[in-house]
Amino acid sequence: MTIRIDGLEKRYGSVVALRGIDLEIPGGGIVGLLGPNGAGKTTLVEIMEGLREPTRGSVSVLGLDPTTQARRLKERIGVQLQSTSIPLDLTPAEVLGLYASFYPRSRPIDEGLEQVGLEAKRKALVRNLSGGQRQRLALGMALIHEPELLILDEPTTGLDPVARRGIHEVIRDYRASGHSVILTTHYIEEAELLCDRVIVIRAGEVVADGTPFQLIAKAEGVSTLWIAFSGPFDPAPLVKAGATPHGVEGNHHRFVTRDPAAAVVALGDILRGQEVSLVDLRMKRPTLEDVYLELVGGDADGEPGEEE
Amino acid sequence: MSFLPAFSSLTRAHVLMFLRSRAALIWTLAFPQFFLFMFEFAFSGGTPRGATYLMPGLFTITLISGSFFGVALRMVTERETGVLRRHRVTPVPAVAVILSHGATALVVLACSVTLQAVVARLVFRIGVAGSATTLVIVLLLGGLALVPIGMIAGSIARDTRAAPAITNFLFFPMMFLSGAAIPFPFLPAWMQRLARLVPTTYLVESLQGVMVRGQGLGRLRGPLLVLALMAAIGIGLNGLLFRWESTEPVRRGRVTLALSALLLVCWGAYFLAPPLEMSQRPFP
Repeated sequence: MTIRIDGLEKRYGSVVALRGIDLEIPGGGIVGLLGPNGAGKTTLVEIMEGLREPTRGSVSVLGLDPTTQARRLKERIGVQLQSTSIPLDLTPAEVLGLYASFYPRSRPIDEGLEQVGLEAKRKALVRNLSGGQRQRLALGMALIHEPELLILDEPTTGLDPVARRGIHEVIRDYRASGHSVILTTHYIEEAELLCDRVIVIRAGEVVADGTPFQLIAKAEGVSTLWIAFSGPFDPAPLVKAGATPHGVEGNHHRFVTRDPAAAVVALGDILRGQEVSLVDLRMKRPTLEDVYLELVGGDADGEPGEEE
Repeated sequence: MSFLPAFSSLTRAHVLMFLRSRAALIWTLAFPQFFLFMFEFAFSGGTPRGATYLMPGLFTITLISGSFFGVALRMVTERETGVLRRHRVTPVPAVAVILSHGATALVVLACSVTLQAVVARLVFRIGVAGSATTLVIVLLLGGLALVPIGMIAGSIARDTRAAPAITNFLFFPMMFLSGAAIPFPFLPAWMQRLARLVPTTYLVESLQGVMVRGQGLGRLRGPLLVLALMAAIGIGLNGLLFRWESTEPVRRGRVTLALSALLLVCWGAYFLAPPLEMSQRPFP
């Protein structure tokens, strides 16, 4: 078990940041912590990293207690902090060399630069790197000692889609070698694309936990169907199957339903029983975003938080 | 134990960053030269003897400014920007981070003192009455005594604006009371007594001893012991006061302890150190 958390609570004075978190994360794969700002994601990962102490409950990371066995734990985890600041007057090669010197073992600097695609920038000063390049360097700093577990706090926030994809590739490569990644994000599509497991946190509590597909499947989401027939038809079988007519757009009749499978069966009945053929069928299933918004509801903008 | 590789690469990184920030570099190297030319032209009387007499004070000013201004600001900046927080999630020991800041400050001091000495030698023909090795040891002890004070300022300063306020507050009494800026015999008796509480007084006294009076380490053991005590206690206190993050509170109890320890050394020096010889010698 990579991470085991029991009854974790964290208070800052009278503010409760985490209220009773229980989690088990086995080794391997990418786990995404998804939630609005102020939900407690950063507090949770910083407790795992040993930067903050729990108020109550127990936390074990790689079998170690982050509070009392911090030194041994830090040798085995790689961390990217939210808004990591990197010394501006050093080059990427110097930065990686500096961080490599903090660990008993580390990989060669050239390999580290190559891993995050910064070979060409090895002699540029960090102050002259783009936001995406700095984030890749921050990832390189977290990976230089070949950690068993990577903990990333919003690794792609503020990046354009191309830069974001570059970061995703590095994270996927690392996962492919059998290691574990925990990352926080408030980009839903990032969680959907990248994560093997998504844990949704709201106001310091876990409100959903599963693969992106499981979360979507479990949700009460509404699917939309656009159907174009060759001629007039009777929608009764669709309505009987629970679909509600929702207007017409050109040749397309729109239906909304919570049970798209039943609607597709009813569509078959119409084609068999009526003198029409199908010209076009389009369907939009609920996305993780719908599920997410359903879960975090009006809280999506979050409470002013401990997220700093 | 990963102390040594971390310490040396941190020191190297700090020195590189210092060399690359042009403004800081030029200021640090030029500041002592301004003082050198100002004082020498104004007070040396144009003789190498007069020029040499001024050097202990000038070296002391260089050591104070170099110890206080750079290192305190570097420490606060690293803490405020989150560089230290990032270090904290690695196994790097705090003592490596702390000592690397001290070592960086000593390297910077060595550069500016050496440059000042070379210019003074070439332009004003200064000489050293005692041995050059003794002079280097005294200067090194001076740096070791003063740098930790600058680092303490860096640890207790709330932010980058507070750091210069604290170091300036320390800078002026250390410069004017110690005989570094105003020749010691010119100070009235009560100020000379007060000066015995200021650590830099013992630095000026030792430097005068080796440069003007030609004394060796044995003769100077009194003031040198004060400097060595300041160094040992200052380095120890840095371990107590160091903060990784600006959100960590400055622990009142520890600051009180630190101030009391430093004051204790000053009081001890006040009562126990031998009389200051520089107060006897007239200006040449």
